Amino acid sequence: MLQKKICMLGSFSVGKTSLVRRFVESIFSDAYQTSIGVKIDKKVVRAGNEDVTLVLWDIHGEDVYQKIRMSYLRGMSGYLLAVDGTRRQTLDDAMALNERVIQEAGKVPAVLVLNKSDLTEKWEIDSTRESELTTAGWNILRTSAKTGASVEEVFSKLTAAMLAE
Amino acid sequence: MPEQAQRRAPQGQPEENPPDNNHAYEELRHLIVAPEQEEIADIQERLEDRARRAEDVSSVVAEAISMRCEKKDGERALAKALSPTIQETLRESVRKDPHVLADALFPMMGPAIRKSITETLRAMLESFNAALEHSLSAQGIKWRIEAFRTGKSFGEIVLMHSLLYRVEQVFLIHRQTGLVLSHVVATSVSTQDPSMVAGMLSAIQQFVRDSFDSKNEETLGSLNVGELEVWIEDGPDAVIAAVIRGHAPPDYRLAMEEALEEIQQRYSSALENFKGDAAPFQSADELLSRLLATQHREPVGERKPRAALATIAIVVILVLGWIGYSSYLLWEWSRFLNAVRGQPGIVVISYDKQGGRYHIRGFKDPLAPDPNALLSHAGLNPNNAEFDLAPYYSLDDAIVVQRARQLLHPPEGVTLSEHQGELDVEGTASPRWIAGVADRAILIPGVATVDVSHLQDSHLLQLKAPQSAIESVFLLFPVGRAELEPGQENTFDQTQKQIRDIVAQAEHLGEQTSIELIGHTDSTGIEGTNQLLSQQRAEQVRARLLRGGVPPANLRPRGVGTTQPLRTEDTEEGRRLNRSVTFKVTFTPTSAVN
Repeated sequence: MLQKKICMLGSFSVGKTSLVRRFVESIFSDAYQTSIGVKIDKKVVRAGNEDVTLVLWDIHGEDVYQKIRMSYLRGMSGYLLAVDGTRRQTLDDAMALNERVIQEAGKVPAVLVLNKSDLTEKWEIDSTRESELTTAGWNILRTSAKTGASVEEVFSKLTAAMLAE
Repeated sequence: MPEQAQRRAPQGQPEENPPDNNHAYEELRHLIVAPEQEEIADIQERLEDRARRAEDVSSVVAEAISMRCEKKDGERALAKALSPTIQETLRESVRKDPHVLADALFPMMGPAIRKSITETLRAMLESFNAALEHSLSAQGIKWRIEAFRTGKSFGEIVLMHSLLYRVEQVFLIHRQTGLVLSHVVATSVSTQDPSMVAGMLSAIQQFVRDSFDSKNEETLGSLNVGELEVWIEDGPDAVIAAVIRGHAPPDYRLAMEEALEEIQQRYSSALENFKGDAAPFQSADELLSRLLATQHREPVGERKPRAALATIAIVVILVLGWIGYSSYLLWEWSRFLNAVRGQPGIVVISYDKQGGRYHIRGFKDPLAPDPNALLSHAGLNPNNAEFDLAPYYSLDDAIVVQRARQLLHPPEGVTLSEHQGELDVEGTASPRWIAGVADRAILIPGVATVDVSHLQDSHLLQLKAPQSAIESVFLLFPVGRAELEPGQENTFDQTQKQIRDIVAQAEHLGEQTSIELIGHTDSTGIEGTNQLLSQQRAEQVRARLLRGGVPPANLRPRGVGTTQPLRTEDTEEGRRLNRSVTFKVTFTPTSAVN
């Protein structure tokens, strides 16, 4: 079975962990994230005729107190960049983070996840900005941890992109 | 000053002879030496131009080194010259990127280090094993005490001390991605998802590397999780992690290193080009399994049940021994008490045991044996018993007989026996002892009646034979006469002697002899005459005996006529024997007489 290491990145409290919680297999407690800054989960995705095991490194959200350990990115085949759609600042932070990620780990397939899509009235990312990003080459998906919308799609899209490499 | 002079001298020389207008000479010289001069200039240029010089040297440097090496001591000189540079080069290389050298040296350094460590460890382990083996029995007890003291299980203590362990899982992890390449598990071990565990191990490795020791790229060698240890062996492209229950010996690390080296070598290109497909590493399972199988040891628990059994056996033996000994003592004591109870002259009213000592209360006849002596005789310690026995008169037959014996002093030949108050005295004794025995015996406590009917007078017994001899004599007389028949003199003399003897003998024994001289007649004649005649005959014999020296006190003559015929008178012989004097001898104790 094919295995891929993927990382999940994004600012603190954009809802990364809660986004995937219902969709992945997990054996470790969230305490790992606060102590060593990462927690490992697993997701099996069907791609074409084969199953692919995604080993998901759920990396602690970056904030003023804790920077992401770039060494955790080593060897990843792709990553999810999570943004809180109701806070525009998190998108800017994500883009800045993305620069550092590319610098460290090189260019690998990635999916930009605009989370909290259920909170439409508070949505801060306009469609112009979104289409700019698409033009820049981003795979973008709106998701909701609350409803579970498009979460499976995030994984399958990233898997497809990685297999295409 | 001399310094200036010296410096000026070379400058001044060409100035002293300038080529004044000597153009022709100059031209000539040019014609002659120009080619050489150009050549010299070219050489000079080559020497001065570093790039060209380097180019020149580069074409011959290898040959030059070879040539130098061939010379005597050349190799050493070269090494000496080059070593600072090489050292500096290596230092610089490591400073820049330690991976390059580390990766290059990895296949070579592993075995070298391992060999050296193995040698050291072997010596250490050998002595350790020997010590362990030699002291196993005593050790076992010590461990048990330790287990009891620390509240841990004995198994844990054994595990702790004898380095027993079990490798439960082995992971082969791709170093770069943290993805699991291969995973083997010991039988009957439950595991978590290996891909997540491998990922987490990598994350922890990274964390430790980042946090503590990022410079040397040294990583975590082991993790402790309760009873489990995770040993991690880090290679350039792959990592082996072994999950161990207990404490593995140091040489297990060598086995891990060897396996990792082999994997690095065998799968070098697969590791380098790994894109998430673990299929090429399936064959590594066998290598990893060997790590499981060869290092898995059964706990050396064989002695455990044996030691436990021995301990139990000892305890059982001790308990049984104690019970047996106690029972034996109890049995001995009850036997002793029964013996005491059965002992005539002792009555046990009660007994109890206080502080290991028996206290016995009751009564004891003064004639009964000492109970302490009985105790010693039974093999028991007299110090363990205390007797509180009041004196009394026992009516036990044996004691009564003993008491009678003590008071009556029976002479030899007399036996005493007693039954229900009747004392039987049997045997032969002197008439003096016999005379008082009945009166004295009746006073003895326990004696109600006395039977002396079976007592015989020893004196009478001695005198019986001569008495019979005398009493069988017939002194015969003729019809109608009071003179002895002729021919009776001898009989008379003999009888007289016998009488003298028996009187003397009886006197010696304290007996007074009384001899009746009984005169008889036959039935012829008239009765009145016969009576008289018989009296005369008795008197006649008495007179003769008196003359023969027999004391008169002993003789009592009397005539019985025909009243006591000795024979029937059918024949002449019968009538003859009735015309006679016969004797009747009796004895009386002298004291009784007095």
